[in-house]
Amino acid sequence: MRKQLKKFAQFTALSSLLVLSACGGNQAAGDEDGESSGGAVKADIGVISYISGPGAAYGEAITNGLKLAQEEINGKGEVEINLVIEDSAGKQDQALTAAQKLMNSENVTGIIGPTLSTEMNVVGPEADLNGVPIMGTSTTAEGIPQIGDYVFRNSLPEALAIPASIDKAIEKYDAKKVAILYGNDDVFTKSGFDTMKKAAEEKGLEILTIETFQKGQSDYNAQLTKIKGLKPDLILASALYNEGAVIMDQARKMGIDVPFVGGNGFNSPEVINIAGDAANGLIVATPWYGEKEDDKVKEFVGKYEEEYGKKPDQFAAQAYDALYIMAEALKNAGEADRDALRDALAEIKGFNGILGEFSFDEEGDVVMEPTVLVIEGGAFKEFN
Amino acid sequence: MLAELINPYYLQVASFILINIILGVSIYITLSTGQLSLANAGFMGIGAYTSALLTLNFDLPIIGGILAGTLLAGVFGILIGIPTLRLQGVYLAIVTLGFGEVIRVIFVNWESMTKGAVGLSGIPHMGRELLNTLKEFGFDPKILGLQNNQFVFLAIFLILLGVTISIITFFRRQNRSRVGRAFAAIKLDEKAAESMGINITYYKVLAFAQGALVAGFAGALFAHVLAYISPADFAYHRAVEILIFAVFGGSEVIWGPVFGALFLTVMPEVLRFISEYRYMIYGLIIIIMMAVRPQGLIDVNILNWLKLKTSKRRQKHGTSSQKSM
Repeated sequence: MRKQLKKFAQFTALSSLLVLSACGGNQAAGDEDGESSGGAVKADIGVISYISGPGAAYGEAITNGLKLAQEEINGKGEVEINLVIEDSAGKQDQALTAAQKLMNSENVTGIIGPTLSTEMNVVGPEADLNGVPIMGTSTTAEGIPQIGDYVFRNSLPEALAIPASIDKAIEKYDAKKVAILYGNDDVFTKSGFDTMKKAAEEKGLEILTIETFQKGQSDYNAQLTKIKGLKPDLILASALYNEGAVIMDQARKMGIDVPFVGGNGFNSPEVINIAGDAANGLIVATPWYGEKEDDKVKEFVGKYEEEYGKKPDQFAAQAYDALYIMAEALKNAGEADRDALRDALAEIKGFNGILGEFSFDEEGDVVMEPTVLVIEGGAFKEFN
Repeated sequence: MLAELINPYYLQVASFILINIILGVSIYITLSTGQLSLANAGFMGIGAYTSALLTLNFDLPIIGGILAGTLLAGVFGILIGIPTLRLQGVYLAIVTLGFGEVIRVIFVNWESMTKGAVGLSGIPHMGRELLNTLKEFGFDPKILGLQNNQFVFLAIFLILLGVTISIITFFRRQNRSRVGRAFAAIKLDEKAAESMGINITYYKVLAFAQGALVAGFAGALFAHVLAYISPADFAYHRAVEILIFAVFGGSEVIWGPVFGALFLTVMPEVLRFISEYRYMIYGLIIIIMMAVRPQGLIDVNILNWLKLKTSKRRQKHGTSSQKSM
């Protein structure tokens, strides 16, 4: 028996050695040409992103946006940022180990990411305890910056986006009765629904019915038939674009022609690709509008298309701005120190990026004016 | 010196390895009677949610929560085990898979209690709570030359290591007992075992309940190590992941799933340097393994061979101190 235990101990010792040696190899190799850049603040910024797995498209857009921003920022010479990118595969435990690696092995000054709100719920408290400033670029669920003093985000939360789009829709269509439809097994759509319901109640709208669906569902006729019978003025749908597009398609085929108001997950050009003409009449609020008449936006879209061969989406844009905010804070802090960076981040006010004017409130949450868009004739247009 | 070696990153990975090892053991137990159960993710969820809810809402100490979660999962194991164990092979697998999904759907829809798909956050963290308790008694990690977070993760790691070793020891001993022999007999041939006077229903339910108990325990630990859980953590993917530990490592001996869990948890971390390609390599390794060793990496032959090797080497070095097992 003792021999067995001993063997087990050897086994674990050996295997942990294996882990240790395997993980220690790749130190940041970016700071070799350091001294020449004079007074520039040099900092390692960790990135936790969803690079592999079903949501890898988000992670790709985010890392592309970050890399583009990094190139420009380092080119200017005031701040020199070295990105250390780690994959989370969309899993909480992976995100947490990635964060531990960045905080303890790579000694990064700050972290951008992780991609999902669920991941942030796990990583945020740990970063906060370690005193590492962390900024989400795509975490829109409620309560994220409230995790702690070191947790920030620059992604427009649903609590700002949804009421804005509902407001504009009420104004335009004089809506009084609404039906709500949402996916109840996904954090994103569920939290979007909570915000929608609250907003609808605050605006005094009559909620005719609340219908649910599940991820990956393909037939929504039962829910839509019920909604059609109740004759709402507006349908509030908290769905991701893949389900959302199918819902719109089936609704239009059924003869429901009232406008849809969607959350952030509904906001994707893919809706038009999937649903075609049926997508007309979808109203979403977004921090990012690529057609905006603004020099910065045009320059960013041009550069991004040149580099990666496609149009940037909101994830790329938010990541791009996030790194600029980090750089601004690093410049103000004057040194690559975690606490100094946190204080400098908290003081960011009226930052002018491609998303518009941006400030942090006292909790580290977003203060900005969202743009409300509507799909008309197969394209996103500004909704007035 | 010691303080620099203790990197929370490695300890965090090690903690997940240990939790996965416990999960690997849980599926090994049911497999050792020849039953393929995919309900372990569901039992894990029961353990995790029970413990998290009790500690969050009733201020129960973590140990109490973990025990309650474990026991409840065990009770469910018995309740589910009795009717479903009439089924065999793939039918049992389907029913247990269905059970896991039912549990997940309950977590999603019981919003007043579980907050639905948003999940439970702010669950008391095992290491941090321990540190706070110790601090009340005037203990400071600096005495050991450690930072707070180093101490937190070291504590978690040591607790999990102790727990894992005890669980493995227990089931190794059980294998050599009357119960273990009965399990093995049932696995080989149910009819023959029955005719030898083994109470098949009793032992099958026992194995099923033990598996549920261990999975629930792992789930409860998971909740208090991660401090956040959501129903998606206990979905179909988790069930398959647990199954792969056993399939990859081999399910003949307990070291199989243990090795499987270790290897498959370490791999994604080791492969971090190739970032987005790492899951491709990971998948490739699994496919190659399946093709080359369909029975799993570790089986009785390999163990015997390893034993032979190590004992020979020991004799060569003249330190042979052969003791009885």
